[in-house]
Amino acid sequence: MNMIEVSGLGKTFRVAKRRPGLLGGLRSIVDPEIKRVEAVHDLSLNIEAGEMIGLIGPNGAGKSTTIKMLTGILVPSKGHMRVAGFDPVRQRRELAQRIGVVFGQRTQLWWDLPLIDSLRLLRHLYRVPEERFAANFAQLRSMLALDEFIETPVRQLSLGQRMRGDLAAALLHDPALLYLDEPTIGLDVVAKARIREILQQINAERGVTVLLTTHDMDDIEMLCPRMVIIDHGRKLYDGAVEAIRERFGGDRALVATLDAAELAKLPHDARGWPMLDTLPDGVTLAQVEEPRLWLGFKRDAIPAHELVAWLGARYRLHDVTFQEPEIEDVIRRIYEQNLLLSVA
Amino acid sequence: MAIIADKATYRRTIDNVLSDIRLYFRLIWMQIRSQGQYKADMFVNIGTYFLTTSLEFAAVFLYFANFSTLLGWNVGEVAMLYAVTSIGFGFSEMFGAGLDIFPDTIRLGEFDRVLLRPVSALIQIASSDFRLRRLGRITQGIVALFIATAFLPAFHWTLLKVAAMCIGIASGTILFLSVWLLGATMCFWTVEPTELVNILTYGGRDMLSYPLNIYNQVMQRIFLFVVPLAFGTFVPVSYMLEKSLPFGLPNNLVFASPAVAIAFFLAARAIWQFGVRRYQSTGS
Repeated sequence: MNMIEVSGLGKTFRVAKRRPGLLGGLRSIVDPEIKRVEAVHDLSLNIEAGEMIGLIGPNGAGKSTTIKMLTGILVPSKGHMRVAGFDPVRQRRELAQRIGVVFGQRTQLWWDLPLIDSLRLLRHLYRVPEERFAANFAQLRSMLALDEFIETPVRQLSLGQRMRGDLAAALLHDPALLYLDEPTIGLDVVAKARIREILQQINAERGVTVLLTTHDMDDIEMLCPRMVIIDHGRKLYDGAVEAIRERFGGDRALVATLDAAELAKLPHDARGWPMLDTLPDGVTLAQVEEPRLWLGFKRDAIPAHELVAWLGARYRLHDVTFQEPEIEDVIRRIYEQNLLLSVA
Repeated sequence: MAIIADKATYRRTIDNVLSDIRLYFRLIWMQIRSQGQYKADMFVNIGTYFLTTSLEFAAVFLYFANFSTLLGWNVGEVAMLYAVTSIGFGFSEMFGAGLDIFPDTIRLGEFDRVLLRPVSALIQIASSDFRLRRLGRITQGIVALFIATAFLPAFHWTLLKVAAMCIGIASGTILFLSVWLLGATMCFWTVEPTELVNILTYGGRDMLSYPLNIYNQVMQRIFLFVVPLAFGTFVPVSYMLEKSLPFGLPNNLVFASPAVAIAFFLAARAIWQFGVRRYQSTGS
């Protein structure tokens, strides 16, 4: 059963551009220059019930715009959508009953009152019958370990606690579909792991379809079997996370600053890159900007310290740092290689 | 607007309205509890607002220090008009607080969350704030009413007059709330309409605290037929004081006030819904 069906979705904003200068500013009021910004272009997506999808893309890529259209906040310029069997534009309130949304950076809980009060009020807002509320609440309470802070005013909660509170609030009415916007942002390592465990549980045990927007590659890798990459309003990639990892991501980079003189003495190949000793398995020379080298290596191929040792045994090392793959790099590489993969 | 086709739809609409109203009061109660946490603050605020509005009342008397009548209205009569206006307005201030803070709600991006809920956006916005401290104005209005009757030895309360006053105040509340709503709706088009809204709300209250016939014909028509605030102020009080209405309008017009108020509210609500749709198209 398809939870989300999107085809040809597009959204163009008309933005008034200010003309420069004082006279220009005045003229902008009466005769504004309208610039058309295409935030989303021809986006198509199909998500089945029970899936857990990661939505990734740089800032300004059109992720939020897409989510807003899927939830009924924004009306699309063109295209066709069906979410949980509803038309988000014409059936916004019915759809709202079936979805839950958590924003990582903004809470929907009432700031001055204890968490429990917010949850009770949301019960009324979502018209959840008494028995279902009691059952749900009990379950969420134990899953999210809310007891320690259920009576505390929300403004006094730590970020991790508030996130758990927001998750409870979003799941109280048994939504079929859950949108999470940066749920682990700002959390410490322990809290992140905990939230990920909870999200895993929510998806596996309650069968909730989850759409997770994030900048954190680890979130995606640990939770989502499938990911969608959006950039410049277009869908760049839609498929298994493994494939991405094999091709572009998952490689850590060792950035070594060698001795310039020593490097210059080495024979260079056609690219102008120094020819090093045969690199260990799983290690590749990714980039050169003498005297710096970027060595890409797979996480499980060789431990970091061994690679440093190997390098240090053969060449003089002035400096060594490590780089994790940036999502922006992954996307850039996909863009550069003109890759538009779609795994049905 | 839905056409009420059969009894089932009619029943459901009534049910929806009732549950919306119940929800509204529940949300308001949350606000009260939130604010009630600071009790001392609350009482100081109510007291201060009582004094502030009393000063406004005193201004009425200042006029009458030099003149004995205002176009046929003596000090007690104007005081009564002021009092009734003030009470109705005070209720609208109290209940309409959510509409007053709407510019902030939009600016902080909180309207998106409102649209994510299966409840009417208007109910959520209207209940997003509640100003208990406006009780200060309502109390002052009631006190002013008693002071006014002290200046009117010839005035006698009848059942119909009491009814007219209550209907007038209730209608006034709805009418002023509708003006607040129109002000909030402006936020969908302009960024910070606060001053303009204040002209319509506080300015309106100010103007209607004095007899309608001191204003020129155009203003009178506006307050009777365009933004019919007079139906919550001048019209009921004219009935109570047995004064005639302009344009040859019937004396018991006050009993049509609720209909006028509701009609005006529905018009304001339609414009609000148009504004919401615009927000959904432009995203801001």
